[in-house]
Amino acid sequence: MLELKNVCAGYGGADVLHHISCSFSEGGSYCLLGPNGCGKTTLLRVLSGLLPYRGHALLDGIEIAGLRRKQLASRMAMLSQIHVVQFPYTVYDTVLLGRYRHMRERWFGRPSLADKEVVERCLEVAGLSDLRHRMLNELSGGQLQRAFLAHTLAQEPDIILLDEPTNHLDIRQQVELIDYLNMWSSENGHTVIGVLHDVNLALRLSRRVLFMREGCVLRQGEFSQIADDAFLQCVYDMNIGEYMRSSLQQWSIDP
Amino acid sequence: MSRRFKIICSIAAGILCLLLGMCAGSVPIGLGDTAAIVSSKLFSNALPEHIPPITASILWNLRMPRAVMAFLVGAALAASGATMQSVLRNPLASSYTLGVSSGASLAVGLTILTGFTLPVLPGYTLPLSGFLGGLGTVFLAMGLAGRFDHHLENTTIILVGMVLSLMVNAIFTLLTAYAGDKLHQLIFWQMGSFSGQSWSNCGLMLAVVCFGVLALMRYGREMDLMTFGEAQALSAGVELKRVKWILIALSSLLTGTAVAFVGVIGFVDLIAPHIVRRVFGSNHRVVVPMSALFGGGFMVVADLVARTIVSPQELPVGAVTALIGAPFFIWVYFGRRRRERYA
Repeated sequence: MLELKNVCAGYGGADVLHHISCSFSEGGSYCLLGPNGCGKTTLLRVLSGLLPYRGHALLDGIEIAGLRRKQLASRMAMLSQIHVVQFPYTVYDTVLLGRYRHMRERWFGRPSLADKEVVERCLEVAGLSDLRHRMLNELSGGQLQRAFLAHTLAQEPDIILLDEPTNHLDIRQQVELIDYLNMWSSENGHTVIGVLHDVNLALRLSRRVLFMREGCVLRQGEFSQIADDAFLQCVYDMNIGEYMRSSLQQWSIDP
Repeated sequence: MSRRFKIICSIAAGILCLLLGMCAGSVPIGLGDTAAIVSSKLFSNALPEHIPPITASILWNLRMPRAVMAFLVGAALAASGATMQSVLRNPLASSYTLGVSSGASLAVGLTILTGFTLPVLPGYTLPLSGFLGGLGTVFLAMGLAGRFDHHLENTTIILVGMVLSLMVNAIFTLLTAYAGDKLHQLIFWQMGSFSGQSWSNCGLMLAVVCFGVLALMRYGREMDLMTFGEAQALSAGVELKRVKWILIALSSLLTGTAVAFVGVIGFVDLIAPHIVRRVFGSNHRVVVPMSALFGGGFMVVADLVARTIVSPQELPVGAVTALIGAPFFIWVYFGRRRRERYA
């Protein structure tokens, strides 16, 4: 279980999150919603131990800041938006690097049989078995994101934090990624917490949402129970419900 | 072509470069004669009659330590460059970015101007001051970066390193204005040269290179993950801040020792890792040793050109590395891209 109690955090001495308290129980998916700059990504960075904070951020009751990186990596992994590939690696090597926390620290150590089996499984899941020898800089955006999804899965975490991983993906790839993560969490009892700009995609990931604005949590719960047009207007400064419905009408085809 | 075959070819090419550096010069010495001289020195055999003692002395006391030192310095700089490029996620980064060369130059400049000499081992005064100056500047840069940015992010390290480096360079330039008759000595040291190297220097450099390269290879997986970005490396379980300190310290040790012995020689730390990545991919447990091998061979050839092309005069080897390296790099790096585009 992930729990934040009265957490403040930010950059360069200025707080972005102001006394946040919320919790994410094990199993299932959650999404964080809110306008740009409301602190969604900062909240994810606190949860993943990337950002120092004041207050308490707890993973199963243990302070996240007190955990070593490998301990944290054994429980959670982060999947961000498409990476800039500075140096070329093969898809196989990229996925194998996801096994880092499992590998023994040896000079010339080779991956174990178990590591290789996990990598094979993750390549298959991501549909990259045929592209294993392809260099990352030779992949399309969708293939590259799938390679990093396989890298993240190879880490075998219980919790995956998504930081806008669907940017630069076409609509089919976006839906496939979200559907796969939903399946992963429901089949294994794992947790996915996602920041996604597209509200429709976010709701496809989960109906359990946490609304934020100006570094504060406004509401957390089932979308249908906590959100209505007036509330969404208050969060986004626009009538989101009206916009969605009018967008949908454009898709209605006259008989 | 398999990776193992490429590695064997590269080792053979490295040995060939080293032999070329020993045999070629104003007095050419054949491979057979070289083997006979080395055997006579190592096993106290009698020299064959057709080899004059002066030739044996040229090879054993001048050419061999020089070629071996050139190889080791090239290896140190290239391994260090490969590491810094990955750690800082910047294809143009090197230990020089963090002020190794400027710090070493300033320390050597001060030593020359004050005329300070070590009471024991006076011959090591300049190398030691260069080494301490270079490493001191890097640690100062890292310390300052750590104070400004608790996470030691790459941008902070690069910015602080470059600013500090420029500042130290400015102090060095001011010093040269007051160098008087020592100006020539100062500039000559800065240009870099392999002349006057001894076997004891080579032994010291060999120990540092072996230790540095093996230690860097130990952190190969961490470097691989760091090239994906800091957040990705942390998420995978890398203790980023500690590993970054260790890697920067190791590569500064390699560069600092090289600069201390031979002065500032640039470019090899930039080109060798890029060319090696093109041939072997980016796995750092291969990139680091192969960069060392390529850098070593390249430096021996550059030194050979520097001392023979306008013989008996000698060119600054740093200028030769850039003159040979720049077009070679463009040919390898961009030529292949073009071939791929039109394939």
